[in-house]
Amino acid sequence: MRDLFNRFFGGPKTVGKSKEEAKQRLKFLLIHDQVDLTPAQLDTMKAEILEVIAKYVEIDQDGTEFKLEKEEDCIALVSSIPVRRVVERPASPPPAGVTPAPA
Amino acid sequence: MSECIVITSGKGGVGKTTTTANLGVALAQQGHTVAVVDADIGLRNLDVILGLENRIVYDLVHVIEGECRLKQGLIKDKRLDGLSLLPAAQTRDKNAVTPDQMRKLVAELKEHFDYVLVDCPAGIEQGFKNAVAGADKAIIVTTPEVSAIRDADRIIGMVEAAELPEPQLIINRFRAKMVQSGDMMNKEDILEILAIPLLGVVPDHEDIIVSANRGVPVAFDDESLVGEAYRRIGRRLGGEPDVPLLDLTVDDGLWTTIKRWMGLAPAREVAR
Repeated sequence: MRDLFNRFFGGPKTVGKSKEEAKQRLKFLLIHDQVDLTPAQLDTMKAEILEVIAKYVEIDQDGTEFKLEKEEDCIALVSSIPVRRVVERPASPPPAGVTPAPA
Repeated sequence: MSECIVITSGKGGVGKTTTTANLGVALAQQGHTVAVVDADIGLRNLDVILGLENRIVYDLVHVIEGECRLKQGLIKDKRLDGLSLLPAAQTRDKNAVTPDQMRKLVAELKEHFDYVLVDCPAGIEQGFKNAVAGADKAIIVTTPEVSAIRDADRIIGMVEAAELPEPQLIINRFRAKMVQSGDMMNKEDILEILAIPLLGVVPDHEDIIVSANRGVPVAFDDESLVGEAYRRIGRRLGGEPDVPLLDLTVDDGLWTTIKRWMGLAPAREVAR
């Protein structure tokens, strides 16, 4: 009965809206084509950036977000990194090239 | 003033050759003189789409190597005044020609024709470089698919790198019904991603296959909707940029119209 109803009145369909998937996949592809970094390289970059930031502030690792977005004429790396609190550190900056923070 | 336009896409099989043939016909119908050049050396097809394959004696490589004069290499289309074909060589490869030689050939063609349309081979290598060498501008052909649009984006970058002006876009194989149901990207989706001006939208239709079977480009068919799409693109290209694009709205029938009144069907999506 429901089938009959749907046949006449066009009920919910299983197809439809796949174009949104196509569009999202395309946008992602084009950005990555242009940046020419593999997802693995992007992950490494993200980890290294967080490592540096973590030297100065305590961050919420799970809440961080990194995205490549297409702006007018360039690609932008947009990130959101929640800060919990400032890490206590010596008053004077350490000499350059010394004391790399442990991972 | 004459102009050389290269028709390119990156991806194969999106309809470059069909587009070249039909735009050649459409421009010649308006009274322009047009030479269509098959730059796909080794895989020639433009002659077949135009139905001129039985009249080939010389080809582009013969002309470039000086084995015949340009006039001897050109095949005049007897159905339409002003349209001529310069076929590609079938037994040579893309390296038989250099960009400099193509530039010289196009310059000579431009002395005799209002428009020179170059059908570019798929890919981004030597064949592409040859095809864009003498061009004044480019038309990008794409279909509403992820792979075709991705390649179109790449080719747009290469056209800009070749110092041609911003290319124009033709969206081919457009299916209004699928767009309406949300299963195909619409005109706006594609333009948002590729960000170049739209020259035209061509519907997907059986007429294209029939016309390819017969060797009669669909632009010759006054009754065909696809033919009309190409004729309009030809007019927009040939000095009437304000000619409206074809209305590709789906003819829904009574039921859908009633359902739409009742709010049970999605709104119409128009590709103008």
